[in-house]
Amino acid sequence: MTSLLEKNEVDVDTTPARRTDEFEVVESERSLGRNTPQRVGAKLWAPMLAMAVMAFAVGLGLGIYRSSLIAGGDPAQAATIASLQHVTAGVLFIGFLAVFSAIVFAIARILGEFRAGGGTVQETAGARVQTLKMPKTGRVMLVSMMLGMMLLVAAIIAHFVVAAGVTGAEADLLRSEQWFHALEGVRRIGVAIYLLGIAFGLATIIHVLRFQSVRVRELAAEVAERRG
Amino acid sequence: MGKTMGWVKRPAPTDDHRARSAHQRAGIVLGVLGLTAVVITLIGNVFAASQLGTDPQGAATVLPWTFGLSTTGLGLLKIGIAVILVGIIVRLWFRVDSVKDALPDLVPEGTEPASPAGADTDAIETDFGSVSVSSSAPEPLPIHRMARTMWLPMLVMGAMALLAGLILSAAASGQPAGSEAARELFAWTQGTAFLGEGLILAGISFLLGTILAGLREGGGEVQEFLGVRVKTLEMPASAKAFVALMMLGLMMVIAQFVLYIVAAGAAGDATASATWAAWLGPFREVALGTILAAIVLALYTISKALGFQFSRIRELLSTGA
Repeated sequence: MTSLLEKNEVDVDTTPARRTDEFEVVESERSLGRNTPQRVGAKLWAPMLAMAVMAFAVGLGLGIYRSSLIAGGDPAQAATIASLQHVTAGVLFIGFLAVFSAIVFAIARILGEFRAGGGTVQETAGARVQTLKMPKTGRVMLVSMMLGMMLLVAAIIAHFVVAAGVTGAEADLLRSEQWFHALEGVRRIGVAIYLLGIAFGLATIIHVLRFQSVRVRELAAEVAERRG
Repeated sequence: MGKTMGWVKRPAPTDDHRARSAHQRAGIVLGVLGLTAVVITLIGNVFAASQLGTDPQGAATVLPWTFGLSTTGLGLLKIGIAVILVGIIVRLWFRVDSVKDALPDLVPEGTEPASPAGADTDAIETDFGSVSVSSSAPEPLPIHRMARTMWLPMLVMGAMALLAGLILSAAASGQPAGSEAARELFAWTQGTAFLGEGLILAGISFLLGTILAGLREGGGEVQEFLGVRVKTLEMPASAKAFVALMMLGLMMVIAQFVLYIVAAGAAGDATASATWAAWLGPFREVALGTILAAIVLALYTISKALGFQFSRIRELLSTGA
């Protein structure tokens, strides 16, 4: 898992570098480019965004249709109305799953720019390239995204399963309502964990900016020393 | 003493760029508090679901406050994200000062910087999009000035609306199950709480706009300091789409609040109330989704601006101009 996450875009030998501060880095002759999650993020943010837009449009359409059935007041439609409550929530949360994933991927893309760009600047300056190892906050972002995604996917699947099983029987309608409220809680947790992951991703950007502020000054000192 | 840029004070050149970020810590703490609140509401929701068949009044007492508390928890998480974004803005200015300090020593020996004098030229095309060339750092765009001014009022108004939603949810919890008062108060709760969520997301969007403004201004400042021609990335299409989507989402959030007030007025008729709720629920979610989609585009634009900045620094290191 670790080696996959840390797999670099550019195949270069790296050695651990010793620093006197808290930044954990590796050293190499050339820029390492982006790591695996950053490359995935750069590719997937746009498809995820497109999926979110489509799901939101469909979810709104389903909500309006369900509303028209309720306004019709036909008791024979009770099962359809109950089913649609679950399907609408399921589709809307496919949208949220996609848009939150797009945000995490876009943050990974930003981190990729810092990693690849910071490396090439050091390389251009003629210095040994120091690249931050993935900080703990970055790992928490990835784990949170996966956990949030699993919870949302589970809730969405459960919504569709419950929707498929609703009949017009009184007990069925009650069970459908019970599931809806329980799954609402699960969906909220999924969203909350996603948001926490986003917070950790942004915290990682702060960590990277701190390192770059320190490193660029070191770079100047190294080059000045080399030039005598 | 650092100068104030909007609501954020720019760190002074003498401030310690190595120091850990207090914003980072505060943001994470707020996020964990928010998550805790949401976990409590999961327990409440599962309990209420189990009571629906046997004790509908008990369930009707629990469900409104779990709604209010969960939106408050999610709001806290978003405020935590906003605090971290403020930390990023501060760190970007530290980075500008560090680059200004270091670049003169990194430019190759023997290269003479090109004269910054000369007329501003038309945009040139690069891998990152159109880039303008000028003799001095560009002025902030009106949208950047707006972002710097608006992010804090949006966050404060959002937090106040969330608090009002939480209080309304507590009031709705005390009403008899299925009563007109319960329906009316719950409609107010939903409209107010989602207004709060939307305003906080708008605040986050304005903070992202402030980051984009900082990248533009900081890049210009470094180049002007070095005495070279100032190359500035022109506003990409993704940034324009970000602004349009954010405004659309914000209008939808305000519209859902107004429509929930109308729905509260129809609470006397159970069917009419359910009809309103059936489409307003998805509508309010789509409103938040629209602002979230705008945020994705803002983040993409930031990565694009960063890519341009690194390419420009490499150009300066290679050619000195």
